[in-house]
Amino acid sequence: MLEPHEKAYLTALQALREKQYQQAAGFFDRAAEFFADNKEFCLLRETTRLLLEVKKEIAAAEGYENDALMIEEVFTDGQETILL
Amino acid sequence: MSRTDSLRSLEVILESFLDRAVSLKAGRLQVLDGINRLDEIACASRGPDGIGRVELSDRIGDWFARHHGWIEDTSLRPADRNRLGDMLAEIRQEIARTPAPMQTPATEKITAEIDRWQARMKAVPVAGPEPSASRKLVLRKGPESLEEAGVHPSAPDSISLFAASLKAVTGLFEDSGRDRLHLMSVLNDSLKSATLQKNTEALLLSALIIYYLKHNGYMVEPFVKRLKEAERLQKGAESHA
Repeated sequence: MLEPHEKAYLTALQALREKQYQQAAGFFDRAAEFFADNKEFCLLRETTRLLLEVKKEIAAAEGYENDALMIEEVFTDGQETILL
Repeated sequence: MSRTDSLRSLEVILESFLDRAVSLKAGRLQVLDGINRLDEIACASRGPDGIGRVELSDRIGDWFARHHGWIEDTSLRPADRNRLGDMLAEIRQEIARTPAPMQTPATEKITAEIDRWQARMKAVPVAGPEPSASRKLVLRKGPESLEEAGVHPSAPDSISLFAASLKAVTGLFEDSGRDRLHLMSVLNDSLKSATLQKNTEALLLSALIIYYLKHNGYMVEPFVKRLKEAERLQKGAESHA
């Protein structure tokens, strides 16, 4: 039977493969306690965290802070759109 | 280079590192994923309906179909084989506990398949580390100069150089294309790498993809512009070096 921390590490690697870095970082955190001495684990975890920080910096530099989704609603002829 | 450009460059490098690190572990990841799936099936088999449920029967049938190669695989680690054996035994035990009226032809088939796996896994030898006596490290010294190697200095081996470059470009394409759904996404990544990292292989790969797309009737003008820009930057970097 796989232990929860092994599952978490596995899921983190799968998330990295899918380029889901935020999700991967979360799973690395869950497994961290049990892999603290594993150099490979620490390297992957720290690189993922660094990448997320870099992405955050880029977003801030380009004016998209806090991963906010900018939605602009456009009304035609001054009429509000009726949502069905 | 602006701060954003530097950050973008760092982003590409880190993503590329993680991509390569994960691809190195692809084989191990596949094994762990298979073990994890079987573990989930074993947990589900402990549920109130046992293995008799159609969904569960389908899942384990699918698992056997996907991993049929493992039955003869000598490269699985002994710990992996033990885990698989334990999980299969657990599922087998749950089937045995299922009351007779709930037994179906599907559960009988699963039982037979588990028995076959367990018998084969015991029979297949486990690949252990090679005995130390047979391990040997041989260091060979190459010729000191091109003359010694029988190669005239003025005649560089262009075929070997091109073959090495083609190999590097192919490797880059395999890395970039793994998680992408369209060639244009690979081209976009490759142009980014050619521009930000000044990667020559990425430049060659971009040119190859653009020509391929053009040949297949795609509009490639915007990509050609980016390719020329990347080429200009790389030439600039070379002249400054």
